[in-house]
Amino acid sequence: MKTESKVNILWRKYTERSFSLLVPVLAILAAFLVSGVLILAWGANPIEAYVSLFSGAFGSPNAIATTLERMTPLIFTGLAVIYGYRSGFFNIGAEGQLYMGAIAAVWVAVTFPGWPAWLLLPACVIASGLMGLVWILLPAFLKAKRGINEVLTTLLLNYVAIQYHEWVIRVDHIQEGITLFGGEKPVWTWLNYFTLKDPTQPYPKSPFLVDASFMPSLKSILETNLVTSLLGDTTWYQEVIKIPALGRMTLAPVLAVLAVVLIYFVMFKTVTGYRARSVGTNPEAAKFIGVNVPRTIFISALISGTLAGLAGGMEVLGTQHRIIPSFLVNAGFDGIPVALIGQLHPFGGLLSAIFFGALRAGSNKMQVITSVPVAVVYIIQALAIMFAIAGTTVNIQAIIKKRRMSKGINQKNAAKVAEGETYAG
Amino acid sequence: MLDDLGQVFSNVEFYMAIVRMTAPLLIAAMGSLLAERAGVVTFSMESMMLVGTLGGIIGSGLTNNVWVGLLLAIIFGALIGLMYAVWAVTIGAHQIVTSTALNLGALGLTSILYALVFTRGAEVIENVITVPKLAAWKVPLLGDIPFIGQVFFNQLPLVYLGYLLIPLIWYILYRTTWGLKIRAVGEHPHAAETVGISVAKVRYLTIIFSGMMSGLAGAFLSIGLLGSFQENMTAGRGFIAYTAIVFGKWQPIGVALGTLLFGAADALQLRIQAIDPRIPYQALIAFPYIVTLIALMAVVGRASWPASSGTPYKREEV
Repeated sequence: MKTESKVNILWRKYTERSFSLLVPVLAILAAFLVSGVLILAWGANPIEAYVSLFSGAFGSPNAIATTLERMTPLIFTGLAVIYGYRSGFFNIGAEGQLYMGAIAAVWVAVTFPGWPAWLLLPACVIASGLMGLVWILLPAFLKAKRGINEVLTTLLLNYVAIQYHEWVIRVDHIQEGITLFGGEKPVWTWLNYFTLKDPTQPYPKSPFLVDASFMPSLKSILETNLVTSLLGDTTWYQEVIKIPALGRMTLAPVLAVLAVVLIYFVMFKTVTGYRARSVGTNPEAAKFIGVNVPRTIFISALISGTLAGLAGGMEVLGTQHRIIPSFLVNAGFDGIPVALIGQLHPFGGLLSAIFFGALRAGSNKMQVITSVPVAVVYIIQALAIMFAIAGTTVNIQAIIKKRRMSKGINQKNAAKVAEGETYAG
Repeated sequence: MLDDLGQVFSNVEFYMAIVRMTAPLLIAAMGSLLAERAGVVTFSMESMMLVGTLGGIIGSGLTNNVWVGLLLAIIFGALIGLMYAVWAVTIGAHQIVTSTALNLGALGLTSILYALVFTRGAEVIENVITVPKLAAWKVPLLGDIPFIGQVFFNQLPLVYLGYLLIPLIWYILYRTTWGLKIRAVGEHPHAAETVGISVAKVRYLTIIFSGMMSGLAGAFLSIGLLGSFQENMTAGRGFIAYTAIVFGKWQPIGVALGTLLFGAADALQLRIQAIDPRIPYQALIAFPYIVTLIALMAVVGRASWPASSGTPYKREEV
C-alpha cells in the first residue's frame, strides 16, 4: 500500500466533512425543485411562492420572531431523536413526550399560581422535562431489560398521550368527579387534580397561565437594571430596544441553542456520551470494551425523553401560554426529519430546525399571497428527508468501500465494518 | 353497568363490528407478511394505507364507481411500495427511518392531493365530500346461517378478501417454491443469492404487494366504512397492523389472531362510547393502543424476528 501525502489526507478529510453538509443542502434543493412541480400543478408560480415563503420567515423582525417560535420545539425534539438515535434508541415517541411535558408545565403553573417567577418558571420547566422522562420510562425499561423494540412502544404511547391531552383539557380543573356507566356518585375524584380545563370557558382549553410562568421576553431582559446600567447609553442599544418584535422573542430559543451546545458537549466530550455513542454504533463492541449496554441504553433513552418533554414546556411557557386541542401537532414527529437532515449531529440539528422553523413560519404568508396550501411545506420536508437518507446512505457506502480498498482487508471484515456503520456511523 | 355490557356482548351487531374493525388490519398485515418474511421491515404500512384511503376517495368520487376507487387505492399503495423498495432495497437505506419519512410525507401528500382534486381551498375540513361507498354483499348459503352467517358472511366484499388471504399467504409461504424463496431471502440472503435467487427481485415484489394490500386496507376505511376522507384517516392503524405481525411472530395464523385482538378492542371501545357518553371517550380511544402495548410486553420475546429483518442486502463486489 502506498503511503499517502499529507496534502492528500487533508483533502480527503475535508471532502468527507463538507460532504456531510453537502448532502442535506442538495437534498433540500432537490426537494424545493420537485415541490415546485406540485406548485405549478396547483396553478401558482413556484418562485413567487418560495419568495413569499422566505420573506414570511426572515423578511422582518416579526417574521424572525415567528421563525424562532416555530424553531424552538423542533430543536428540542430534534435533539431528543439525535441523542437517542446515536445511542441506539430510536425514539419515535417525542410527540407523546412533548404533549406530556406541556401538560406537566401547565399543571404546575395552574396548581401553584401564587409562586414568584423565580420559583414558578424553573419549576414548570423542570416539570416538563421530568414528565417527558416519565413517559419514556416504560419503553426505556423494556428495551434495556427485555430487548423489546422501542420503535413500537414509544409510538404506541404517543396515541395514549394525545388522548390524555384531549381529555385533560375537556374536564374542569378540580371540580366534580367522573361518573361511570350512569352511576349517581362520582368516582375517581382524585383524577380531577390532573384535569386542566378552564371552568370559566365553554371551549376545551386550559386556563391562561399566570405571568410568573412566562418565559421572559428579550425586551424585558434588555430592560433589566443590570443591562441598562451596562449598555443603556450606547446608540445601538437605543436602536435595538425600539424593535417591537423583541417583546415577542423570548428566552426559549436561547435556551434551545444552549441545549444544543450542552448535548454536543455531553455526546462528544464526556464519558457518558462516549459510552452512548459506542453502544449506538456497535453494541457488541461496546460490550467488549466493558460498557454496560442495557444501563447505557436506559440512561440515553431517559435523556432523549427529557429533551422531548422540554420541547412541550418551552412551547407553552414561551409561546402559547395555554393548552388548546392539538396545540402543537406533529412537532414531536418532526423531530425525526430535523435529526436526519441535521445528519444526526447536534449542530446539524440546530441548522435544520432553523430551516424547518422558517418553512412553518413562512408557509402562512405563502398561502395568503399565492394561495399555495400550507401542506406543501410538509411535502418539501418529506422529500428533503427522503433525498437526505438516500444521499447519506450512498455517501456512507462510498466511504466504507474506499476504506475497504485502501486498507486492503478481506471481504468478510469489510462486511463487518459495513454492518457496524450502517447509518449512524 | 354489567347489564349494559351484557347487552353489548349479546348483540350480534357487536360481533359484526369486530369483524369490520379487524378486516383492514387483517388485509394490511397479511399483505405485508410476505415482505416481512423476506427480511424487510414494513413499518411503512401506515403511509401505504393513508394513500389508499385517498386513492379510494378520488377513484370513487370522480367516476362514481367504487371499484375504480379500489383500483386506484391499489395503484397508490403500489407506488408508495415501489418508492419504499427503491430506498430500502436498491439504495439500502435504513428501513425504519425511511418508513418514518414516508409516513410523514404521506400525511402531507394526501391532504394536499385531496384539496387539489376536490376543494382547492383552505377549508378542507368544512367541505366534507361524500362519495359512493362499498355495499355489503351477503354470501349465498353461508350468509343464511343464523348468527355466524350474519357476523362473518354479511359484510363488505373486502372482508372476504381478508378471510381468503389467511390460507393463501400460509399456502404461498409454506407450500410453494415462491414461499421457500421468500423465506430463504429473509433468513439468509447470501445463501439465497448463491443458489440463484435474486434477493432484490423477491424484496421488490413482496414490498409492492404489501403496498397494494395496504392500499386496499386504506380504501376499506375511506370508501368501505365512511364514504368520505379525513386528514390522517388511518390514525395509526398501519402501525397497529405492523404490531400484529410482531405479535403473531410472523406466522399467518398468529398474525390473524393479532389483528382480531386489536379489532375487538376497537369495536369494544366504540360500543362503550355508545353506552354512556359521560365516560371519558379519550380513554376508550386509547384502549386499543394500550391493549397493543400490553400484548407486545406479554407475548413478544427476543428471538422471533426473521434473521435478516431490516438489514439491506448488498451483493459483494469482488
